[in-house]
Amino acid sequence: MATYVYCFTDAGHSLPLDDLRGVGADGTVLQAIRHDGLAAVVSNAPEGLRPKRRDLIAHETVLETLSAAGSVVPMRFGTVAPDDNAVVAELARGASRYTELLTRLAGHVERNVKGAHQEDALLADLLADNPELRARNEALRAAGGGGQPDQVAFGERMALAVEQRRTRDAAYVVAALRPLAMLDRHAPSVKDCFVNVSFLVPAAAQDDFDAVVAQLRSALQGYAELRVSGPLPPYSFVDAVEATV
Amino acid sequence: MTIMTQPSSGGGGSAAGALYDVIELILDRGLVIDVFVRVSLVGIEVLTIDARVVVASIDTYLRFAERCGRLDLTGGRQPVGLPAIVGQITEDSAERKARGALTGAGRAIAETIHDIVTPDGRG
Repeated sequence: MATYVYCFTDAGHSLPLDDLRGVGADGTVLQAIRHDGLAAVVSNAPEGLRPKRRDLIAHETVLETLSAAGSVVPMRFGTVAPDDNAVVAELARGASRYTELLTRLAGHVERNVKGAHQEDALLADLLADNPELRARNEALRAAGGGGQPDQVAFGERMALAVEQRRTRDAAYVVAALRPLAMLDRHAPSVKDCFVNVSFLVPAAAQDDFDAVVAQLRSALQGYAELRVSGPLPPYSFVDAVEATV
Repeated sequence: MTIMTQPSSGGGGSAAGALYDVIELILDRGLVIDVFVRVSLVGIEVLTIDARVVVASIDTYLRFAERCGRLDLTGGRQPVGLPAIVGQITEDSAERKARGALTGAGRAIAETIHDIVTPDGRG
């Protein structure tokens, strides 16, 4: 039977597994595989496992619960080892690295911040900011919209301005929150968001982090909105050891 | 099956409620171990995108032109000014001083923007 792996912890983690269920239609039972001062939290890997909503929630719930109780190294969703022995072998092979990583991540949480412009407000702002674009827009409007080549040419100029503004505003958000974080990482681009970034924040600094988020939201009101998630398991910071080399 | 869009509560929300906003982290971040396999994500709709590709398309140009033509620009709107926020709260933060050697090199890596096209959790 293949083994689904959720995370690695140190063997001293309280591992509150009894009330948790793993991936699969029936909610698999979680177990800890211990080796050499480390532990891997695993379950049986259901046949034909796919990233269904139910399974994504199970994976996330296990990791959120365990990371709230102590340091964890989260696996990417869908990590399956051939059997329990392979998990033991990996704990043995990577023991020093995993131990250092758990130490570095201890006491920290991931906070994810996504920012999305309100498109009309952004376009209006760019026109207010740029007389040439404003004049071209007025000329097209006076021409009843203009022909498609003119619209494309104008739209391309607007797109360039939008791209520059996305870059500027992403840097603004990151610069405001970076002082509260030990590390930050760009998260994968997602639809309609000008920034998607994760921060590794000391758990004790989360109130400060939220206070800066509130300041950002106030500054961006009517122009862009921020969506903030967490505390999350440190998905984006499993390279925190390499980052120090 | 559909991943529902739900507003994020801004911290501490349940895993289910906040799933939509962290799904790309669950699917595309976290530790990968070479000798283990990963569940196939084939057939899952794309959630994450290369934003630059979306912006740089004829459809987008036409949409921007059309939207700009409909905007009410009367009233002499002033451009949004972004107030300096850095340091207002954090100047005296112990964490700010406590940041170690971890930070510099980590930032260099963080500058590498990943434009990976990643499947989402529909399946």
